[in-house]
Parts: sequence; C-alpha cells; structure tokens
Amino acid sequence: MKELFPRKHVYGFISSLLLSIIALSLYYFDLTFQLSMSILLITAFFQAAIQLIVFMHAGETEDKKSIYITIYYGVFIALVTIFGTLLALIWGYY
Amino acid sequence: MKVDKSLPLEYGTEQNRLNILGFWVFIGAEIALFGTLFASYFTLINRTGNGPAGAEIFEIAPVMIETILLLTSSFTIGLAIHAMRMGKVKATITFFIITLLLGLGFLGIEIYDFIVFIHEGATLQTSGFTAILFLILGTHGAHVLVGIFWGIFIISQLFKHGLTPRTNNKAFIFSLYWHFLDVVWIFIFSFIFMKGML
Amino acid sequence: MDFLDRFAVPNPGPTIYASMVAIALTTIAIIIGLTYFKKWGYLWREWLTTVDHKRIGIMYLISAILMLFRGGVDAIMMRAQTAVPDNTLLGAQEYNEIFTTHGVVMIIFMAMAFIMALMNFVIPLQIGTRDVAFPRLNALSYWLYFAGAMLFNISFVVGGSPDSGWSSYFPLAGTDFSESVGTNYYMIALQISGIGTLITGINFITTILKMRAPGMSLMKMPMFTWSALITNLIIVFAFPVLTVALAMGTMDRLFATNFFTTENGGMDMLWANLFWVWGHPEVYILILPAFGIYSEIISTFARRNLYGYKSMVYSMIAISLLSFLVWVHHFFTMGQGALVNSIFSITTMAIAVPTGIKIFNWLFTLRKGSIVLTTPMLYSLGFIPIFTIGGVTGVMLGMASADYQYHNTMFLVAHFHLVIIPGVVFAMIAGLFYWWPKMFGFMLNERLGKWSFWFIAISVCLTFFPMFISGLDGQARRMYTYSESTGFGVWNMISFIGAIGLAIGFALIVYNIYYSVRYSPRNIPADPWNARSLEWATATPVPDYNFAILPEVKSTEAFWDSKIYGDKLFNKRIEPIHMPNNSGMPFIMGIIFFIWGFAFVFGLWILLVLSTIGIGICLALRSYEKDEGYYIPVDEIERVEKTGGKKK
Repeated sequence: MKELFPRKHVYGFISSLLLSIIALSLYYFDLTFQLSMSILLITAFFQAAIQLIVFMHAGETEDKKSIYITIYYGVFIALVTIFGTLLALIWGYY
Repeated sequence: MKVDKSLPLEYGTEQNRLNILGFWVFIGAEIALFGTLFASYFTLINRTGNGPAGAEIFEIAPVMIETILLLTSSFTIGLAIHAMRMGKVKATITFFIITLLLGLGFLGIEIYDFIVFIHEGATLQTSGFTAILFLILGTHGAHVLVGIFWGIFIISQLFKHGLTPRTNNKAFIFSLYWHFLDVVWIFIFSFIFMKGML
Repeated sequence: MDFLDRFAVPNPGPTIYASMVAIALTTIAIIIGLTYFKKWGYLWREWLTTVDHKRIGIMYLISAILMLFRGGVDAIMMRAQTAVPDNTLLGAQEYNEIFTTHGVVMIIFMAMAFIMALMNFVIPLQIGTRDVAFPRLNALSYWLYFAGAMLFNISFVVGGSPDSGWSSYFPLAGTDFSESVGTNYYMIALQISGIGTLITGINFITTILKMRAPGMSLMKMPMFTWSALITNLIIVFAFPVLTVALAMGTMDRLFATNFFTTENGGMDMLWANLFWVWGHPEVYILILPAFGIYSEIISTFARRNLYGYKSMVYSMIAISLLSFLVWVHHFFTMGQGALVNSIFSITTMAIAVPTGIKIFNWLFTLRKGSIVLTTPMLYSLGFIPIFTIGGVTGVMLGMASADYQYHNTMFLVAHFHLVIIPGVVFAMIAGLFYWWPKMFGFMLNERLGKWSFWFIAISVCLTFFPMFISGLDGQARRMYTYSESTGFGVWNMISFIGAIGLAIGFALIVYNIYYSVRYSPRNIPADPWNARSLEWATATPVPDYNFAILPEVKSTEAFWDSKIYGDKLFNKRIEPIHMPNNSGMPFIMGIIFFIWGFAFVFGLWILLVLSTIGIGICLALRSYEKDEGYYIPVDEIERVEKTGGKKK
C-alpha cells in the first residue's frame, strides 16, 4: 500500500495544500492590496511549478527542451496579452 | 508496432511519444486561451453596469471546497500514473475513479456557485463583468466536464485491455490534461476569487 | 412559413439571384458528372477518406484556388463600383457585404489554405519522413477548414452575408447595427476553420520536431521547413485568442451578453484589441511561409546556397516574438495616451529590422549567383522590390502621430495589399510552379507562366500605387462611392484598369494549368529544377510512402551534396513500411461540424444539441477504435520503386 503513495507526490500535494491555505488566509488578514497580490502571485506560480515538475513529469524525456520552450512561449504570450491589453485599454487610456 | 522496453509503457512506441509531445503543444495553446480570458477579465472587472461587483457575490466557503477537491484530484491522478508505471492496474483504475468523483464534486459545487450568482442578480446578461466571469468559469468547468467523459472512456479501456502501450499513453495524456486544469484553477482561485474578495 | 423566412436573404439583388442559380447548377453538374463517370467510389476511396499528406495538400490547393476566384470576383466588383464617381452598379449594402467577404475569403480561406497546401505537400518530403505526426488529425483539419469555408460561402444565398468588414468591429457587428445573421456566419465559420488551423499547428510542430530524417538537426533543416515550424508556433499561440474573441462575439449576438456592447459595462474596443492580438500574428503566419518559399526558390535558381542561414533563422524567431508585441498599431486612433502609442510604435518599427535582414540575405544569395530566370524565380525577384515598397509604407503607418493622417484611408489599403500580394500571393504562385512537377508529374508551361507574371506584377503596381495618392488626399476605405468634386475618380479608374490586368493574369494561370494538363510532356526527371532539398530526392510522382528508405542527412543541403559530392542518402535496406489506414471519420466530422455551425448561425437549438452529441460520438468512437494501420511488404515497394513511383 505504501508504495502507491510515493514521497515525492505526497510532499508535492502537501506543499500545494499549504500554498493554497496561505492564499486563502489572506482573506482573514488585513494586508495592503499590493502585499496580498504579491503573495498571491508567488503562491500561484509556485503551485503551477509544482504541478508542472512533480506531477506532470515535464522534464523526464528527451523532449524536455521542446516542452519547456512551448510552456515558456505560452506563458510569455499570455502575459503579453494580459498586460498589453491592460496597458492599451485601462492604464494608458485617458 | 515496435515497443521500446527501456521506457515507461506510455512512451513505448514512436506514435506514443508523438502523442505526448503533441499534447504538450496543445497545453501551450490552452495557456494562450486562458491568458486571453484573463486579459478580458481584468479589462472588464470594474465594468459592472447596474449589476453587482465581484466582492458582492463571491463567497469563500464554496471556493475553498472547490480548491481542495481539485487539488486532491490532481494528487490522485498523479498517484494513478504512478501506480500505472508500477504495473498495478487495479490501483490505477481506483485512483482514476476517485479522481473523476472529485471532479464531479467540483462541478457540483461550481453549479451551486452559479445558481447563487444568478440569485444575487448576476446573470450572464447583467454586465460586462458578469459575462466574462461566467465565460472564464464556464470554460474551465466545460474542460472539467469534457475531462470526466474522457476519463470514463479511459477507465473502460483500462478494464478491457489492461495496461498496454496504447491505454497507458491515453491515461498519461489524460493526467497531463487534468493537472493542467488544476493549474488553471489555481489562477482562477487566486486572481478572480481571492483578489475579488480582498 | 415563419420558420423558413429566416433563411431568406434580407437584401436580394440580381447578383444574389445569379449566385443562387450558379450554385444550384454547379452542384447538379458535379452530382451528374460523378454519377455518369462512376467516380463516386473513386472520390470516396482516394480523396474524401485519405489521410495522405500529399493528397490533403492537393485538396487544400484546389480549395484555395476556388476561394481565390470567389475573393477575386468580389475584388473586381469593388473596383468596378468605385471606378467612376457616383456609380450605381452596387448599392451601399451590397458593397459592404462584398468588401467583408473579400477580406475574409482571401485571408482565411484562400491565403491560409494555400499555405496549408504547400506545407502539407512539401514539409514531410523535405524533412525526409513518410507522413505527418497525426495523419488522421491532418485530414480532420482539412475537413474543418472546408466546413468553415462552405458555411461562410453559403451566407451569400442563405440568410445574408456578413457586412461589417473583415475585422467585424463592434458595436457595428453587434445585433443593433447588424441585424441579419451575416455576422453569425462570420463568427461561427471562422471558429470552425480556426479549430482546424490550430490542429494543423500542433500537428506540424510535432512532425517537424520529432520526425526529421536521421542526421537532420534543427540547424540543418531547409529554410521552408524552418519557416513552417515558426509559423505553426505562431498559429498555436495566436489562434486561441481568436477562439476566445469569436466566442465572446457569438455570445453577444446570440445570448445578449455585454462583452462588446456600449451599455451595462460592455467594452466595444475589447473586440478590436483581441481581434488584433490574433490579427497581427496572423499577418506573420501568412508571410513567414512565403519567406521560406522564396528562400528555397532563390537559392535553387541562383545556384548558390542560401546566404546567412543562421541569421535567417534568428530573424524569423525574432519576428515570431515581435509579432505578438505590435497589435495596438491597428488602432492608434482609439484615444489611448501617447505612452501606449509610443511603445507600440517602437515595437512596430523594430519588426522592420529582422525583415530587412532577410531581404539583404536574399540579395546576397543572388550576388555572384548564376541566375536562371524561371517562372518561380521571376515571382521571387518581383517580390523583393514591390514588397519593400509595401513594407516601407508599413513603417510610415507605424509612426503613431503620422498614422492619424493615414488611418483607415486607401493609403492603408494600398500598404497591406502591396505587402500581402507580393509577399503571400506571389510566393504561393511561385511555390505552385516550383512544386507542381512534384505534385502532378509534369511541368507548367514556362512561356505562359512568364506572361502571367508580367501581367500580375505590373497590374499590382497599377492597381495599388494610385491608392497611396487618393488615400493621402483623404479617400477613406470602405466608401461605396464618392462625388466627382473629390478628384478621386482618376486614381480609382487606374486602379480598376489594374484590377482587370490582375484578372487577366490569374486567368492566364488557369489557362496555363489547362494547357499543361493537355500538352506538357510527362517524361520529366524527378528533379527537373536541379534543386537542393530532399523533396526532390524521391521519385515523381511521389509514392504513397514517400521514401522507400529514409534518407540520412549530413548537411543543410543534403540532396545537393549528394549530387555534387556523391554523398549517399539512402544507406539502409528496404523494410516493410507501416502506413495509416484511410478513414471516413474526418469527412463525416466535417459534415457534422457544418451542420453544427449552421444550427448555431440560425439559433436552431435542437439541431445544435444533436450535432454536438454527434461530434461527441465521433470522438468516443475514435477513442475506442483499434487501428494499427497496415504494412506495405518489401516486394511491393521494390516493384513500385522499379517503375519510378508509378502504381501498376
């Protein structure tokens, strides 16, 4: 039974639960908006990294490079789309 | 079909390796898709018209439960793949079923959430904000729904054929999909619900 | 009767009735022809169910040429309407519909399909493999494209064409101002073919990354393959943006949401923003494969290896990233502040740098080459100066403050036509002439080819140069007429004459195909152009399995080196070859998607649910299907090889 629950996965699960609890606890603390957002950003990206590396085995084959380039490219496009859109339609619009 | 014994079964044939890389590229496209939805969400977030804003309709309890359900399901599908690699077909199927049940629970609470929103006067047509809120949650929810159907097909094939290069490949790709949905949920949870409730 | 009323065209005119008759007659003719010649079985077995990348490529090619004529007729009608002041040939509504369908058909259903045609046919051959990574999905991509294209084209006779421009800006495209189902067609047809394109993107990235011939490292790939890899990368990351934008637009129109409305918090410019987040990379999706084709053709006919291979690759990678950073230049005049415009102005101008590098690389490839002036080479040489004019005016448009003068005038129309026609259309025609012998086993007539080149090249300049002037004088685009006192008349008349020249040029290409089918000699060698890359290393016509033995590659121009230095490409012994089975599923799914789209356009919800279930059933069947493909035995391969690729 024990071998069905490898340590790597259990630790990964516990740490993602912890990160979620940290994020959720922001609801009960009265931090500044900037600080809360920074914590959220950190917890979210850490959790994503745990999923990607621990659970999704992104780096286990010879295609590691292609896979990471695809993911980075996707994240780059997503961030450019989000911040570019906000720049054009909200922040830079007056 | 030539099967390479030095790799886990899901990478066993050339076609299997192609399938897995192809699916990773698809995940890249999904990142762009959800990125666009987030871009639109942040653009429309304050455009609530006569309807409620996020802070008025979000509740922490259902969000908390949804998060735990989905995180756990991501853990169990990871265990399913681990069991699959050890060649334990029963454990694999069990973890698969648990995963899908957790996914079903997630969907149930999400639907409950939607009903609450609508009761509080935030329908799809109310404002720009509610439209994008429903679209982004709905897109994620639809992915989970598709995942549940897909998972059922895979479970039935695991029952029928056991662990073969073909079924393992499908199961592994499904696990990638499911983990990715969890990643998306983490961002929805952090930057829609938590940010909205702060 | 009320139910049927919705399918009626809202503004019927003689052109529409003529189209209805033409469509009905063509359909009847095709059905009778197929039945009379007993070709139904052949069509089904050899084409509709094929998963062979070469045949899918040819189907894309035929579709693209058909769409070229659909879009071309639109173009001629527009030029005819504006040729003289106060013309009454077309009404305002008809003109709106025609410029909308012209844009959509040319970009989405002609240029994209042409690119897909050449990529499908050439890439697997060029990297020395037997098919794409997912042959079944490749067929599905084609049938989704085809379903989208057919859905868009029937809008003309069933329910009404879209009429809010190819960019379909809201609130004009919203239900308040576009009451007919036309814009629904736009949203749904683009969605369906967009999904097909996305699947192609995934397919080709996987193919190029994983299935290259032994020894062909990334930096030894032919330039067209490189350009296809980058193009597909852009497709994979740009098309999801369109998917989302179209979904929102569809919901606004059919479910009364407020994404792009002007009330209840909707934001109309969000559509424009998302449209161009996709739209600008789309421009590079069109142009990069063209750059790849020019690289192949110029180095073949200058008889030199490509100058600056590495800088070509890096400049394409730079373009692929920059292409996602410039979209706001399409709406500099929206009212955002100077900071935003400055940022996007600078990124826009930065893109001219890698493009310039590529132009110089081609020029340096030509330098000291022994140039052979074939038809494909003529198009490639004609491309350089005309494209540069188009490109330089693009930099002018990229200057935000100056753009306030050019925005939405004929100057802009001239600019993007002078980029897209020499950039994409010339490349497609050049590629068509260049790879035609590989596709069909005979060459297109060179003399007619050169005539068509001169007609097209001169007419392009004649059509679009005057628009620069009338645009600077203030002629706005999309105006269905103008008064005599504006003085635009003479420029538009010159444009009209140019458009007729273009029509003659394209007619010459079609005549050339007809002429060559009848008279061109069939006993041509496998490598008629003395070319340099692997697609010419196999027999003509190409056998089903492409290569009896997979080639082994040592350099960037392996085939050329095998001719000059005697490197051996094929070293292994012939073994049984694994092939995928044909399948009717992609075609059936295409039909179901067509019904799905039609139901969506008209809000026929029961039909929509049924067809959605149908799509689900197809996917489930595919999941349960056991299809291991089949093997071609060695003696069969040897027999085919002996006859030089010909079956039987």
